[in-house]
Amino acid sequence: MATDPTVSLKIRTSLGEYLKRDPAAILISQHLRDDLGLDSMAVIELLYRIEEAFDLQIPDQDLVGLTTVGHVVTYVEKRLGKAPSAAPTKKPAKPSKPKSKKKS
Amino acid sequence: MRSRVVVTGLGIVSPIGIGVGEFWKAALAGQSGISAITSFDPFPMDGYRSKVAGQVRDFAVERFLDNAYGDRVDRYAQFALVAAKEALADSGLQMAKENPHRVGVIVGAGMGGMVMGEREITQLYQHQKPHRVHPNFIPTITLNSASGIVAMAYGAKGPNLTISTACSSSAHALGQALHCIREGRADVVIVVGADASITPLVFAGFCSLRALSSKFNDQPDKASRPFDRLRDGFVMGEGAGALILESAAHAKKRKARVYAEVAGYAATSEAYHMVIPREDGLEVANTMKLALADAGLTPGQVDYINAHATSTSIGDAVEAKAIRQLFKSRADKIAISATKSLIGHTLGAAGAIGGIASVLALHTGQIHPTANYDDPDPACALAGLSRSAQERRVKVAMLNAFGFGSNNAAVVLKQATT
Repeated sequence: MATDPTVSLKIRTSLGEYLKRDPAAILISQHLRDDLGLDSMAVIELLYRIEEAFDLQIPDQDLVGLTTVGHVVTYVEKRLGKAPSAAPTKKPAKPSKPKSKKKS
Repeated sequence: MRSRVVVTGLGIVSPIGIGVGEFWKAALAGQSGISAITSFDPFPMDGYRSKVAGQVRDFAVERFLDNAYGDRVDRYAQFALVAAKEALADSGLQMAKENPHRVGVIVGAGMGGMVMGEREITQLYQHQKPHRVHPNFIPTITLNSASGIVAMAYGAKGPNLTISTACSSSAHALGQALHCIREGRADVVIVVGADASITPLVFAGFCSLRALSSKFNDQPDKASRPFDRLRDGFVMGEGAGALILESAAHAKKRKARVYAEVAGYAATSEAYHMVIPREDGLEVANTMKLALADAGLTPGQVDYINAHATSTSIGDAVEAKAIRQLFKSRADKIAISATKSLIGHTLGAAGAIGGIASVLALHTGQIHPTANYDDPDPACALAGLSRSAQERRVKVAMLNAFGFGSNNAAVVLKQATT
């Protein structure tokens, strides 16, 4: 999977901090619940961190598809307009925000 | 026949020590845990009338717990977890051998998760970004977060309750635990009192109430001085106390070391004023009387009182008056001490911490000093108060706790008989 290394690293670092694990040991293929042990509340907390890190707002309807680390990375890339061939499968919930200058 | 209830384990997080050994040694030495609040980052203390508090310094929950339960709760609930852990270890109770549905948790907390509470509220109002409110905000500030997390940490599936009656919260938690075990609804109850709200907004609120000491900002260890003529308000503290209560039969069966018996309890309301006690002391006296009756004891049998004694002008005088009314000539023979003189007023934790001091008085015959009782106020002089530690045989102890909202609690503890 062609993923942006910056986005991927940032997400895995977020996960690593949350789970108190080495980000390098977190794989893109891992399932958030089955492999990493995140319950539904933990997924919500993780996404909260990711919203902060990328200055995004993730609408409720987008949560359903985010079940693996890879899903989250692809989703964020898509939202940031970085994916090489991001064919959106659903209508964006809102117009994408201008990229923030805020340091995360 | 109703079950007798005993105390088999103690745990504490306090401004003068984390752990009962450290706390008690410091308490007997009259060591003060009151110090200057240097800052409420990001803003300074300049605007505050009072600038001192009983702070638990350098507390990092991961130093005390080998699990992640402390990570997602507020400071007060972290204190509760640490105190409960010590108390359980001290009691020798092994949850793996217990029927989890017979082990309850009752926590007293006055303010709850104010660290996160204040932060999130401030950020929301400043930045107006509702989607940036932390997802853990509600579970954290909900006042039963401590009773919930303690139960989760130890698999206690019995009654799980939070008592919030301001400054008397955990005295009522002790009393409710007594009822719970007496009535046969649990064999064991982990009782905790916890609060950690030395936070910019709560502290400002108590300042605005003119409830806090402000004359001793330059001498923090002198600020909390219950029953002394120069007292000018209470000093905020923070911490947690935990006591393992269990039925005497259950303790006997597992050959537990028994510290003391919880013999009686009374809860009343003065139905008078949100923050001012009735000056005649009648309701306080009545509360102590009812607790003694519940214990099947008389005023003449009381040897020690752990006074509520917050160091406010009116509160201490009313309590002293009530003690005189009820105990009459015996009032001067009873040893009395004010734990808040050492650590400040830990709000929801105060009843449990006073309870620990009472249990240790019964168990060791030592009574900790009342710091800064330098110039006895004639309005509340009692001969049993002392700036020094006292050694006495204590067979019966009374724990007083009174809270905003016009509520009173009294708990009677006594030496355990086998």
